[in-house]
Amino acid sequence: MKSKNNYKMQYGISKIKRNLGRGLFEGPTNLIITISLSTILSIIISKIYSWIVFDADWSVVKNNLTLFAFGSYPQVYIWRPLIWLLIVISISLYTIMMPSKFLNKHIVATAWLFILPVGIFLLAGGFGLEEVHTNNWGGISLTLILTISSGLLALPFGVLLALGRQSNLKVLSNFCRLYIDIVRASPLITVLFFGQLLIPLFLPQGLEVSRVIRAILAFAIFAASYMAEDIRGGIQSIPKTQIEAAEALGLNKFECLILIILPQGFRVAIPSLTNQMIGLLQNTSLMAILGLVELLGITRSLLANPNYIGGYMEAYVWIGLIYWLSCTFISALFRKLENNLSYNINKSEAK
Amino acid sequence: MSFNKSNIIQLIIIVLITSLIGILINNLLINLIRSDMGISYNWIFQSSGFAISESTIPIKSTDSYALVLLTGWINSIKVIITGLILASLIGTLFGVCSISKNILLRFISFIYVSIARQVPLLIQLLFWYFVVLLPISRNPIHIMNSWIIISNQNISLGSINLSVEFSALVIGLSIFTGASIAEVIRGGINSVYKGQWEAYQSLGMSEFLGLRKIIFPQSLHAIIPGLTSQYLNLAKNTTLAIAIGYPDIYAISDTTITQTGRAIEGFFLLMASFLLINTILTRLMEKANSYIVNSTRFKK
Repeated sequence: MKSKNNYKMQYGISKIKRNLGRGLFEGPTNLIITISLSTILSIIISKIYSWIVFDADWSVVKNNLTLFAFGSYPQVYIWRPLIWLLIVISISLYTIMMPSKFLNKHIVATAWLFILPVGIFLLAGGFGLEEVHTNNWGGISLTLILTISSGLLALPFGVLLALGRQSNLKVLSNFCRLYIDIVRASPLITVLFFGQLLIPLFLPQGLEVSRVIRAILAFAIFAASYMAEDIRGGIQSIPKTQIEAAEALGLNKFECLILIILPQGFRVAIPSLTNQMIGLLQNTSLMAILGLVELLGITRSLLANPNYIGGYMEAYVWIGLIYWLSCTFISALFRKLENNLSYNINKSEAK
Repeated sequence: MSFNKSNIIQLIIIVLITSLIGILINNLLINLIRSDMGISYNWIFQSSGFAISESTIPIKSTDSYALVLLTGWINSIKVIITGLILASLIGTLFGVCSISKNILLRFISFIYVSIARQVPLLIQLLFWYFVVLLPISRNPIHIMNSWIIISNQNISLGSINLSVEFSALVIGLSIFTGASIAEVIRGGINSVYKGQWEAYQSLGMSEFLGLRKIIFPQSLHAIIPGLTSQYLNLAKNTTLAIAIGYPDIYAISDTTITQTGRAIEGFFLLMASFLLINTILTRLMEKANSYIVNSTRFKK
């Protein structure tokens, strides 16, 4: 048994070596491409390395780590967003790293459900904690709050829109289609602009909604129409026989929707929903133009400080890295979710 | 009309939607009356009084808001067209690289796609503008016999003069969208039936010829829908121009709204112009799609 495994491993490695050699050195054009590319690449990599280690002045990043993370949150209460950030990071690490077999799904699901309320409680205060106004939120913690809460708001709204668009009721389906088409045709920044400048005009006198909440609403309005199309795609991919089977079992329309259509539709829609979540996280940076101090906003106001006049490159590389890492995290998280869902199917089929 | 269940539900939905819209419009009118504004478009022919840093049509600060907005519209179209061409070129190049046999090429296109797609577009634009183009020296640098002249004011290619803002916007947009287009093209090429590759190889065609004549035409069916949505994204993303000070339609609408205080009217004009751009692009891509579907050259 052992020797067989060894043989397999050796064979595998030699195959990889052979393929690598063929991929890099087979044929004259290929050889020229390989040599010139590796020269260029090594020059670029050494330049980047020497810039990062020797030339770059990282003081703009080093001196302002709390600003990047929490914005102008009151110094005394800074432990609150810090705890929340640590919770978010540890739960996502736990979800990504743990092998599927040992993952306790109930704990993970509850943890993810509670992450937003806990975050809002910690950041906003109330119930015994000193209240902190949303205007003081900032940095990565604000970026995360914007992303998670608008994503969670947009998802049910998107499901409703998708179902409405599929409905037999002409009025409902046309209304949903109109909504989806108009929002999808407009640039995000106009929707956010609508949220910041026009929502107050449509509200009754005396009702004031803070800028952060208006931004979350605008993001949810925008993301819902995109998610609706993804979910509709997922729902449409379910074979008709599933619905007929549900009817034959005597399920009513609502039960069929909740138990049969939505779970399967979601599973198909997960890859595109992942892209929507990544897009949402990236797009929160647009709020910097409209005056919120989330990660990009705080960076821009830092760079306006004459002390850091030459720190553009360092600052943008740094936050670019943070965004890149967070996006990679999200896609790893959703891939895990997708794998776990399909894992379930295989198991139940095996039984 | 029979009063069955579904008609009654539809009636209820209509009543709900109209009453919701009614309440919102009522609030709007109350707020507008309170601020003595009302809704009117009289301002559009008044003199705007602000200068635009770059425009195709000659424009003075005494010209009307209508003309200023038109300038912004033309500026947006300029960016969209240039960006579409450049992004398609970049996307095709890296899309083809990502299916190459050479591992180094595949690796480079993987790195490019990963970075360009996972860093927000706005940061990429700010990077190109503030980090790459603005620090170039004020004294023009001559490259290739003065055919290309670069300074931190503008970039000239032969007789074409491009402002730094325009260049940063186009470069950033094309590199960002190019990564998504590369993925679309890779998917399209992979969707071509494997036998086709073996077929052109057995006919003794070179790899380049086979890709160009056999594989690429057949992959267009799968590519066009994804390409359309990327083109639409690019068109919508030109609105980020405001962050680097390029006067596109959104930036100019923003200034107009601040000056006149006409938020609702300005917003409707902005939305209308985007619906128009969207419709034009979608129609053009539909034309391209139906040409490809009907033409025998591209038949599967």
